[in-house]
Amino acid sequence: MTGFLQHTFDGLVNGAFYALLALGLAVIFGMLRVVNFAHGAFYMLGAMGAYVLLAELGVPFWWALVIMPVVLGVLGMALERAFVHRLAQLDPLYNFLLTFGLTLILQDLVKSRYGVQSIPYAPPAELNGSVDFGLFDFPTYRVFVLVFAVAICVGVWWLLTHSRVGMVVRAATERPELTRAFGINVGRWVTPVFGFGIALAGLAGVLAAPMRAVNPLMGSDLIIVVFAVVVIGGLGSIFGSVAAGFGIGLIQAWGVVYLADWPILSQTLVFIVMAAVLMWRPAGLFGREEAPA
Amino acid sequence: MRRTAGLAAASAAVLLAAGCGGGGPSGSGDSKLTDDKIVLGVLNDQSGVYADASGPNSVKAVEMAIADFKAKYGDKAITKNISVESADHQNKPDIANTKAAELYDRKGVDAIFDVPTSSAALKVADVAKAKKKLYFNITGATTALTGASCNKYTFHYAYDTYMLAHGTGTAATQQGAKNWYIVYPDYAFGQDMEKKFSAAVEGAGGKVVAKDATPFPNDNFSTFLLKAPTLNPKPDTLGTMQAGGDLVNLVKQYNEFKLRDKGIGLAVGLMFLTDIHSLTPAALAGTTYTDAWYWNFDQQNREFADRFMKETGTRPTFAHAANYSAAMQYLEAVQAAGTDDADKVVAGLEGKEINDVFLRNGKIRAEDHRVIHDAYLAQVKPASEVKEPWDYVKVLKTIPAAEAFAPPSAECKM
Amino acid sequence: MLRIENLSAFYGEAQVLREVSLDVAAGEVVTLVGRNGAGKSTLLRCVMGLHAGQRGTITLDGRDVTKLPAYKRARLGLGWVPDDRGAYASLSVTENLTLPPRVGPDPWPLERVYEAFPALYTRRDSAATMLSGGEQQMLALARVLRMGARLLLCDEPTEGLSPLLVQQVGDLLREAKKHGVTVLLVEQNLHFATGVADRHYLLAEGRIAEAMDNSEVRSRERELLAYLGI
Repeated sequence: MTGFLQHTFDGLVNGAFYALLALGLAVIFGMLRVVNFAHGAFYMLGAMGAYVLLAELGVPFWWALVIMPVVLGVLGMALERAFVHRLAQLDPLYNFLLTFGLTLILQDLVKSRYGVQSIPYAPPAELNGSVDFGLFDFPTYRVFVLVFAVAICVGVWWLLTHSRVGMVVRAATERPELTRAFGINVGRWVTPVFGFGIALAGLAGVLAAPMRAVNPLMGSDLIIVVFAVVVIGGLGSIFGSVAAGFGIGLIQAWGVVYLADWPILSQTLVFIVMAAVLMWRPAGLFGREEAPA
Repeated sequence: MRRTAGLAAASAAVLLAAGCGGGGPSGSGDSKLTDDKIVLGVLNDQSGVYADASGPNSVKAVEMAIADFKAKYGDKAITKNISVESADHQNKPDIANTKAAELYDRKGVDAIFDVPTSSAALKVADVAKAKKKLYFNITGATTALTGASCNKYTFHYAYDTYMLAHGTGTAATQQGAKNWYIVYPDYAFGQDMEKKFSAAVEGAGGKVVAKDATPFPNDNFSTFLLKAPTLNPKPDTLGTMQAGGDLVNLVKQYNEFKLRDKGIGLAVGLMFLTDIHSLTPAALAGTTYTDAWYWNFDQQNREFADRFMKETGTRPTFAHAANYSAAMQYLEAVQAAGTDDADKVVAGLEGKEINDVFLRNGKIRAEDHRVIHDAYLAQVKPASEVKEPWDYVKVLKTIPAAEAFAPPSAECKM
Repeated sequence: MLRIENLSAFYGEAQVLREVSLDVAAGEVVTLVGRNGAGKSTLLRCVMGLHAGQRGTITLDGRDVTKLPAYKRARLGLGWVPDDRGAYASLSVTENLTLPPRVGPDPWPLERVYEAFPALYTRRDSAATMLSGGEQQMLALARVLRMGARLLLCDEPTEGLSPLLVQQVGDLLREAKKHGVTVLLVEQNLHFATGVADRHYLLAEGRIAEAMDNSEVRSRERELLAYLGI
């Protein structure tokens, strides 16, 4: 039982990263119909940025947690205006290729400056210990990651459900054309929403820096799983992406433990779940079929 | 890829026919050297996961060997016209294949060095065999290079999975690690390492309590780390066969879950000095692994490391020292043979016993071209004992050359 | 109020509207009738600014709006009632009503909307797609009334509704007309059309085939129904 609780907790921590990244992908896809392949690269930039701030400027983790999302959010908005925007009217494949190319460029830029070897980044001293939950103890930093990520997801959810901005974003996400017909300048919201999604990826990157290998390629493998998460949750479904993020984290953790004798199965579990969901509900668990107008 | 490979091979063949009049070693004038020169080729990963452990600095190491060779022989050197060509294989077998052919055929390379990533290393062995040109593999780990895929022109120089697994598995078990939990990445290298490691542990009287394949690549090892203390009997050592970024992930999380405080030590299958540098010695303090060479082991190594530092600004990994050594031994063999004719050079190298900065009690086995030498069971120092940058390790034990490597495999047919 | 001149529209290579010209005066209710595929919905979409491939001129209150994006046209007083009723699943009923900005001189306050549509009030916090088809149609109309739109573009508002609800839609449109609202209506239900509209255009193969008044439609009802295939 203790083991089960521990693994459940652990799965949620891992799921927190999926949830934050999937949430960003979902808002971007919803508003722009762009599958942002560069999301993993911005996650990487978040972590690398935290390292640069600490190692070269002496800026601690807590500030990085604020600075990196803002910096990357602004960078994201600039990229949206400069590139993504120009391809908006074309086949979505063009923007997929654009963001894919962007990923390679960002990775190689970082590579040329910092190399491929992972870079050290220690958790902040105040989160270095363990929290005793009675039945088991757990690294303080991971508890923090979970609480923080849940708070961010709840915050974003609240913003989306309780503010006029959130209402507009939901409407534009669900039916962009119809929303324009109701007098709303959907285009005006596209750039900030793109920046916001990127900022979430950067935030996840900063959170990852103390507990994962920080290197130029850290986002490129993760993003494949996150795409699966988004598909399972339903493309563009904000609630679905968060729920699927935590859900996949749990399934992976349980899978590794309870399917230990079938590593092939536990390693591909995410994609097995994805295939099953797609067969049962092609639009994803919380997705809706694309509606016209 | 296949298409470019075909094109490159075709154009190389055209050039060969046009330029070399049919190919084959053909001396010009009195010299016994093809084109009056020796060209060494370094084929490795110039910007990927092995770029720091080997990469561009291995090219530097080979250049150092050339300079030392020229200084040693002066006017008596077989030629002063010795150069280096390098190429990036991006750890991809098909690119390695194309680049190797290009180096041999178009760049006039006499011997190829380095070549990390086992699948790429094996491809280049095939090319060397077909072209009848020398190939010193340094950073490939697979024992197949001296097993089923061995050939007359291929030498395996620095280490292999047997050396890594047996060094650490046997020595660490003898030193008190009785119960092991082994995690390994689920691909050829990891599976091979796990088998050899488990065999070594059990051969030394230890017990493998559990072993788990992990996804590759993987950034989350927490599930395995949570599982470790709950196993019965509780393991005293976690053996990880992860490498590169995966290793960094695992070690970070091992520390986060404070497994060392819970009585579970860490032993690593393959680790380069650059890995310790990027994780910081504090994160790895107490970790054991097998090293093929360590820069601060003795005065001779240190002198080489100081010169290397001047050239590159960093301390050498075993891969750098091994590239230096292999280049040097190749040039010595050409000098001794008085020709760069591949068959004659190979004949001179086979069975040769060598002691140099990298090879201690070294011997080039004629049977399978495994270059055997002393290996070292190493342990990462606690941060308090690290007195200078890059001096992260103490050598616990020298593993004699004869024990460090497996006996020649019956699978190798020269 | 609305003037369309030489409007042609295309879907890729296919031309769906051919040189259509028509006028709708302020306070008028005008219907477009025609077979499926005659171009009625496309014409409404062109007016709203939702159709990309078009040629011709659209003027609103004497102002050329042909190049104006949809959201700006809406702010000039256009109210869009799409054929699928345009209910947002991710918005509650109240949010569906308050999403569009107020665009006209006489927007209905939310209280008045709920007074007129008690069914919407009781479901005000539910997702709009949880409403019945009829309720969704009421929502679509209520939404444009709350905007205070001066020209309603209604795409088959009675489709699939029970006779009682059709009656209710008719009452609403007549009420709106009484307050000076102009309506351009796509409609297949001739009986309903003659009940609310002043004039009718018959659209055939992308052209205006005939302009008719109520009495003409009534007298030719049998012939027209046969033509429309109903």
